[in-house]
Amino acid sequence: MSNRTLPRILQTPAVILLLIWMLVPLSMTLYFSFIRYVLNSSIRPEWMTPSLSNWRGFGNYKYVLDAKDFWFAIQNSVFIVTSILVITVVLGLGIAVLINKSFPGRGIVRVLLISPFFVMPAVNAVLWINMILDPVLGLQGIAVGGINNIIDGLRDFPVLGAFFNLWPTFEPISFRATQTSAYAVIMMVAWQWTPFAVLIFMTSLQSEDESQKEAATLDGASPWSQFINLTVPHLARPIAIVVMIQSIFHLSLYAEIEIVSRGSGNKNLPYLIGEFTNNNIGAASATGIFAVILANIIAIFLLRMVGKSLMD
Amino acid sequence: MATVSQSSKLGNVLWPALAWIIALVFFFPIFWLVFTSFKTDADAVKPEFLFFFTPTLDNYTNMTQNYDYWRFAINSVITSSFATLFALVVGVPAAYAMAFNPSRHTKDILMWMLSTKMLPAAAVLYPMTFLTKNILGIYDTHFLVILVLCLINLPIVIWMLFTYFKEIPKEIIEAGKMDGVSTWGEIKDILIPLAWGGIASTALLTFIFCWNEAYWTVRLTTIDAATLSTLIEGNRAPEGLFFGRLAAVSTAAVAPIVILGWFCQKQLVAGLTFGAVK
Repeated sequence: MSNRTLPRILQTPAVILLLIWMLVPLSMTLYFSFIRYVLNSSIRPEWMTPSLSNWRGFGNYKYVLDAKDFWFAIQNSVFIVTSILVITVVLGLGIAVLINKSFPGRGIVRVLLISPFFVMPAVNAVLWINMILDPVLGLQGIAVGGINNIIDGLRDFPVLGAFFNLWPTFEPISFRATQTSAYAVIMMVAWQWTPFAVLIFMTSLQSEDESQKEAATLDGASPWSQFINLTVPHLARPIAIVVMIQSIFHLSLYAEIEIVSRGSGNKNLPYLIGEFTNNNIGAASATGIFAVILANIIAIFLLRMVGKSLMD
Repeated sequence: MATVSQSSKLGNVLWPALAWIIALVFFFPIFWLVFTSFKTDADAVKPEFLFFFTPTLDNYTNMTQNYDYWRFAINSVITSSFATLFALVVGVPAAYAMAFNPSRHTKDILMWMLSTKMLPAAAVLYPMTFLTKNILGIYDTHFLVILVLCLINLPIVIWMLFTYFKEIPKEIIEAGKMDGVSTWGEIKDILIPLAWGGIASTALLTFIFCWNEAYWTVRLTTIDAATLSTLIEGNRAPEGLFFGRLAAVSTAAVAPIVILGWFCQKQLVAGLTFGAVK
């Protein structure tokens, strides 16, 4: 066997498997997006089987583009992803710089910090929405109740009491409404992914050129200007990578939305597709194609960036 | 000078203290989950038992009865292990070929593999249900879950292995070729022993991703092949009555993986950034 054929044979199973995995379901989605196809219809039972005779052209796409839910889902997807990105990058940078120096117990701090990343998404959501954020039974409810009790107690004091009488009684926030449940999702996902950002920034910080920093110190540069002028440019690439990888993961966020927001009206693109899938497969497929396009735009940027460093 | 040394002395205490506080804040939710799992369902929602209570193991001993925990756990173990194994069986030869006999197209193939990972799963939700339920008849089987987990992780497996294999000097493999070793022999006797650490951490990380997967495992199973993700998602709204037992089953679902994760946090960086951050 020649030098060329064998490597090809060795990578064939992987290529074929991924090719099938990518092409078969996606071409079905494409097909369904151009026909009328619903799961339940007593008036038009012929729409219940996928067939070319139910051709609808771009009708499903038009239907989706006209749906209020679609624009809300896009807006909300972008809002959730952007918020998570800003929080994780800012916190991640701060924490990575903080624990980059050696100090007692640094190994344990690292282990504690990275742990949230390994918690399965379903547990993450159940834990946060019930045991932490619940307005009555969760820690939030208990904490707000405790603060109110303390303020109530202080009201009985002679002089200070007048001051505390001006304070309102605090109301716990319900995280199950449309807007607040988006905040809850942002909070729990940021908690899970900040460790990831920290880990990547730390790895990158360790390869930073120390001699450059020493030279800057000798030239009298302040720690802040060193951070802005040396460290941040060095971190530009890992920041970009953290942003891109997270965009891809969070655009398809599902478990957290499903658990926290079911019925609250808070939805993102994958959740909307799930809702359409209950009946209107045509609309679900058209929405799916839009999601693919959105993901591709981001993927192109990521692949370009990662691609450069691939072969060296 | 005195002020400088004093402020740095203060800094030597302050910065580590701040680092510790932040780490504890991040770990707190996990601690709280484990902590709550030792409370009875009644105690778990009473403010007076917030920190001081009589710990109990009942939530763990009743886990089988309350949630049928082991059935889901065993499904998770089976599907994650086999998916990892198959991904390696397909991935090692592919990564070997790409690392040691690259062609003009190798880079493009690797990029394309990565791009399959970026396809939003929701876009093909219905076709996958339709295919597996109506045409192939494999909906809710272990086989299907293993296949899907293997496929969604295959790009990352190949990428990670490729990054590790690239570090091995080509000459060692070439020397084997001179001695007339077969390709299979090269992989088995030279490559695998040399790249053992890399293969092991790839396997570990893949196992973690499989275990935590929550989209396909929930959508493509109902009872027979349902994993721990399905179990937890099915009990999403306990109405505050069952915090204790829910905390226990959640702890049991995440503890093995979090501990496993501690051992491969370094490889995580290489694995998730495709070697672009060193």
